[in-house]
Amino acid sequence: MSSGDGSSEPSSKISKISKKPRYSRFTQQELPACKPILTPGLVITILISLAIIFIPIGLSSISASENVVELVDRYDDVCIPSNSSNHDEKIGFIQDAATNKTCFRTWIVPKKMNHPIFVYYQLDNFYQNHRRYVKSRSDHQLWSPKSERATKLCEPEAQNDDDKPIVPCGLIAWSLFNDTYRFSRNDDAIEINKKDIAWGSDRTKKFGSDVYPKNFQTRGLIGGAKLNESIPLSQQEDLIVWMRTAALPSFRKLYGRIETDLEANDKITIEIQNNYNTYSFNGRKKLVISTTTWIGGKNDFLGRMYMTVGGTSLFFAIAFSILFVIKPR
Amino acid sequence: MDSNSQTEINENSYQVPGFIRNSSSRRSISSIQSKTSGGHSIREVSFGELGSKPIRHGSRGADSEGFSASYKEINDDDARLIYINDPERTNEKFEFAGNSIRTGKYSVLTFLPRNLFEQFHRVAYIYFLVIAILNQLPQLAVFGRGASILPLAFVLLVTAIKDAYEDYRRHRSDKIENSRLAWVLVNEQFQQIRWKEIRVGEIIKVSANETLPCDMVLLSTSETTGVAYVQTTNLDGESNLKTRYAKQETQMKNPENEKISGLIKCEKPNRNIYGFQANMDIDGKRVSLGPSNIILRGCELKNTEWAIGVAVFAGRETKAMLNNSGAPSKRSQLETRMNREIIFLSIFLVALCVIVSVCHGVWLRNHKDELDLMQFYRKKDYSESDVENYNYYGWGMEIFFVFLMSVIVFQIMIPISLYISMELVRVGQAFFMIRDNRMYDEASNSRFQCRALNINEDLGQIKYIFSDKTGTLTENKMEFQCASIGGKDYSNAKDSNEDGQTGGGPVLRPKMKVKIDRGLLNISINKHTSEGRYVNDFFIALAACNTIVPLTVDTPDPAVKLIDYQGESPDEQALVYAAAVYGYMLIERTSGHIVIDIQGERQRFDVLGLHEFDSDRKRMSVILGCPDKTVKVFVKGADTSMFSVIDRSLNLNMLKATEDHLHAYSSKGLRTLVVGMRELSPSEFEQWHSSYESASTALMGRAALSESRKQHRTSSQLIGRIRDRRQIAARRPGGNRVFKKGGANQVALIIDGTSLVYILDTDLEEQLFDLSSKCNVVLCCRVAPLQKAGIVALIKNRTDDMTLAIGDGANDVSMIQMADVGIGISGQEGRQAVMASDFAMGQFRFLVPLLLVHGHWNYQRMSYMILYNFYRNAVFVLVLFWYVLFTSFTLTTAITDWSSVLYSVIYTSVPTIVIGVLDKDLSRTSLLKHPQLYGAGQRQESYNGKLFWVTMLDTLWQSIAAFFVPLLAYWGSDIDGSSLGDLWTLAAVIMVNIHLAMDVIRWYRITHAAIWGSIVATFVCVMVIDVLPFLPGYWAFFHIAGTGLFWLCLLGITIGALVPRFVVKVFIQYCRPDDIQIAREAEKFRNSRDPQDAQIEMNKFWILLGHD
Repeated sequence: MSSGDGSSEPSSKISKISKKPRYSRFTQQELPACKPILTPGLVITILISLAIIFIPIGLSSISASENVVELVDRYDDVCIPSNSSNHDEKIGFIQDAATNKTCFRTWIVPKKMNHPIFVYYQLDNFYQNHRRYVKSRSDHQLWSPKSERATKLCEPEAQNDDDKPIVPCGLIAWSLFNDTYRFSRNDDAIEINKKDIAWGSDRTKKFGSDVYPKNFQTRGLIGGAKLNESIPLSQQEDLIVWMRTAALPSFRKLYGRIETDLEANDKITIEIQNNYNTYSFNGRKKLVISTTTWIGGKNDFLGRMYMTVGGTSLFFAIAFSILFVIKPR
Repeated sequence: MDSNSQTEINENSYQVPGFIRNSSSRRSISSIQSKTSGGHSIREVSFGELGSKPIRHGSRGADSEGFSASYKEINDDDARLIYINDPERTNEKFEFAGNSIRTGKYSVLTFLPRNLFEQFHRVAYIYFLVIAILNQLPQLAVFGRGASILPLAFVLLVTAIKDAYEDYRRHRSDKIENSRLAWVLVNEQFQQIRWKEIRVGEIIKVSANETLPCDMVLLSTSETTGVAYVQTTNLDGESNLKTRYAKQETQMKNPENEKISGLIKCEKPNRNIYGFQANMDIDGKRVSLGPSNIILRGCELKNTEWAIGVAVFAGRETKAMLNNSGAPSKRSQLETRMNREIIFLSIFLVALCVIVSVCHGVWLRNHKDELDLMQFYRKKDYSESDVENYNYYGWGMEIFFVFLMSVIVFQIMIPISLYISMELVRVGQAFFMIRDNRMYDEASNSRFQCRALNINEDLGQIKYIFSDKTGTLTENKMEFQCASIGGKDYSNAKDSNEDGQTGGGPVLRPKMKVKIDRGLLNISINKHTSEGRYVNDFFIALAACNTIVPLTVDTPDPAVKLIDYQGESPDEQALVYAAAVYGYMLIERTSGHIVIDIQGERQRFDVLGLHEFDSDRKRMSVILGCPDKTVKVFVKGADTSMFSVIDRSLNLNMLKATEDHLHAYSSKGLRTLVVGMRELSPSEFEQWHSSYESASTALMGRAALSESRKQHRTSSQLIGRIRDRRQIAARRPGGNRVFKKGGANQVALIIDGTSLVYILDTDLEEQLFDLSSKCNVVLCCRVAPLQKAGIVALIKNRTDDMTLAIGDGANDVSMIQMADVGIGISGQEGRQAVMASDFAMGQFRFLVPLLLVHGHWNYQRMSYMILYNFYRNAVFVLVLFWYVLFTSFTLTTAITDWSSVLYSVIYTSVPTIVIGVLDKDLSRTSLLKHPQLYGAGQRQESYNGKLFWVTMLDTLWQSIAAFFVPLLAYWGSDIDGSSLGDLWTLAAVIMVNIHLAMDVIRWYRITHAAIWGSIVATFVCVMVIDVLPFLPGYWAFFHIAGTGLFWLCLLGITIGALVPRFVVKVFIQYCRPDDIQIAREAEKFRNSRDPQDAQIEMNKFWILLGHD
């Protein structure tokens, strides 16, 4: 214990290797550090600069959103015979394969729309994010013909009645949207470009170019569109778009692009094949054409949020300035 | 001795002339001489004839009896029978443990099951496991198999590897230990066999510097007197030599020539390394054995050529192995409170799950008619001829499954990773405490030790400190200071040293220098005056009445040899050194005699009886047969115990003078002892001897022995008294200021052990508690070890406040274990306290940096980390929860299951650990300068219920911001689930990391690396997940990251979520700053705003004075 007067030294034949911890700024917790303190100046600087950043962004988002020209038309409730007013009659109509489901809608373009103009269909109250639905697909089968039997998760649309695998299997593919639209202006057809509407990554890496539809929609219960069995999946762009399941219960899917400008007051006629059954679950169908800007489609929320955050920052910057002046420490 | 300025001030303030500055403690000696009664005095040892018959003062009798009753009576059922040199017979009836030891826990075969079994003792892991198992059921498979098992598997694997490595090392050391060789008597000859083959009952021979293979009773040693010296460093850390004796009955036997046979009957194996009770039947005689007759496994034989003994405890039954268990595990207060909040979180979890399952049930009910065909549900399976339900188990079961699935999805609401993070942070904190240079003790070359790993943060919340005085507040360095002998005061010790002269041979010189009082020295040389006789007896008592072993050490000068006194008690060492300087040099000690060099003349005294010091009698006595054939008993002990046995009929003036001196010395802060002497007439001695013999051979029935002591003691007389006491205040540098700050209104309560007997365990406890809580300092003197624990329990049971006990001796063990935090001082009183403690350090003064600096940091860091972890996990769970509301309550997660799992493992775990280890709210200097900052921990300012709820509110807001901004920004767009999931993942991660960054106080480079690195790592992980083509989210990140909206969302979420927090934080810091905030600003700007006005609610400081 003691070294000073050596009262216990003889016992220490044990070598006295000093156990003194080696000094380092790290072990002594003396590393150089920056210690920011929220001084009044710093607080106001932070808040003001937030306001300076946020308010202009907000304003420009709002103006960008204003510049988007978007036409939305709900047609599921009008494209049915006017006599079928109740639920069962609507379902009866849509499930009857023999009836003519063509329907014409006429729009007046309110403002000039520069190309490309995106054509979407919108489904409301369709839970493409439902757990049962999301899981009901086989990514392996979509990519490789060798995995066409990998249909474990696809029940109840895994195999046809002869136990042959359905390609593409699963509820998602089975419920493929099958309404079609034809646009014309003054009796001239407007071409809708349906090329490259799906992600390139999906076309090249997810949906095989040597996988062809098989046994698809061959059973009694038809969920939606049929597929041309001679076209490989990688070129079935409507399917690819559909299978990238939407995040939210109300969603749009890209139908195609109009590659010409639409002038203001143009009268557009749309011929809709109203095939898809949304009546059974009170879903809504809408047709949308929209231009885009740097923030995407029409969306006021982001701009308003930025304005709110910027405004709040500005408010508190002023409030704190007053506080710091009135009640200095 | 230490240069602390505080100490100097305290010392100076005492202004005691008798002090010599360079000693750490002082010793005074006073002595009265009173007359013996016998009248048989021959020579100078007669002290005059005052009283002819001693008057008995038997006041202490009751105590002794009470004490002796506490000795354990061992009947035959509890005894262990060992037939000496007959291991077959010894082991045939009872299977005594062999001597092989096994500290390894596992074998190759048992490793996996046992290790897993032990790991799953943690509730957290079981929770993990149950969830992982649930997820394996096909109906509940929310996460992919790999993703659900990975975290648990990872933690289990890391722990298993660590355990396996540790166990491997234990196995290796076991193997080395077991195959060491020892000499064992086999067929009348000593043969070398391996340690693991030694059996109980065998006779073992150990040579000098060898380690004992098992616990054995000494039979004989190379010394004719049967003494053996052992060093017990391995056992209790004490490095001085201890004496152990072989019984005379066996000492003369040589087992190689004559067969020894006998029977030892001893107690069952137990952990007490300082106790042993047995008796031995040998040659028809019954001999009693005590702690001084046994040497324990792990000790080393020193200064003794060889020793022979019989193995009584082997292998795992040895005391060393029984003591091998670690410190008992405690749980920190913070963790206890945290568990309360975890219960709240569990309630939230259940609530969320109930909401989801109820809503799901309602949804199913409302859509009952549509489910069969609905494209996104398809309840019916038409593939077979008869239509049946597809994957649908009825309404009730669906709800139940949704409930279980939501538990799986929301599992991280209970922050399992927090437990692991906390362990890592504590390891980091312990690292810094151990490595702190300022808590390294040069003198003992010892670092700070963290023995308990899970109560670091308790150090920041201590409200009551219980301190042992002896050796803790004071250092156990003793020095002879002054003496009062025969009523005369000798206290003018000067710093000079006399050459210890001995006739012939090399010059012997005591190793330690002692200050000498010239007057006393002259008297001691001239011993034929009456004063001289007193002095002579006084010094013989000092030299003889102890258990010190003198050792001669060579010096470079061949003519001079140093004599070094080895002993267990620093008191005794100091006294023997003092006696040596005054010409009474203890030269030799065996169990049978001692040799004292008295003024150059070697005299031999026979030791006829010896009662070692014990804390109940508080006395030690030795009966010596002097060279002049007289028999004298010398007694030494605490003043109270000594005055009760003084023959009061003697010289009252002398007694009075002595008492006055005693008080004078005590008030100087010296420790005092009283010594006395009495001559025994041959008849008295005979009477005593016979009663001693019969008492000591009665197995364990020490009552009778104590009886004979009592009888004997009552007639002993006072020859003098020594006092030695250290200053309390002087030894409390710094700590003083911390705990006693408060100025004029100091109230102190002093209580003694005898009163405590009446208080503890009665109704008075409550009153004592009330009274003591009004005092700043409470002093309890003369407290028995268990009373110390009783006092700690008194406080602990009545308040929630944290208690800390600090002590250095075996008598503090119970108190250290009782308190919330136990600290052991690795001082001179052995290592028992350290072994029982949670933290151990070299000096008492390290308590100040330990509590004020490290305790504060640990507490602040840990509390913040816990709150942050709650927030971090809850915010993520809420983001998942909000999404579930938009999926018709089916627990789809837009965030990929891998991200869900990695969130608390990779994305956000490192920064919180780094900050938990490194961040400092205040510098060491500020914390030491303003001790009131410690109050933050005492008042639980950094972790309490209110903060928890505020944090949860903040969490709610932030989760809303993180979830709904993308939801609304992308509402009605063609966004797909995976892309939006990536956005939510990144938003949550960036938000919680920036949140953390806002609260960081000191930015080190490593902090920057951890926080920004985590964000980058998250981006990388999300990208990696999105380049795997077989996952549904293939390439999603790259698509969404190509749009401006994505980045604007991230920025908007982060700022929008954190602005409220920022504003509130600024407001509180500006308008209601706490002490820490003020000190932080003062630290940065060094301006006038010192936190002087802060009120301090200071600790109670309890000093528990043990026996003297």
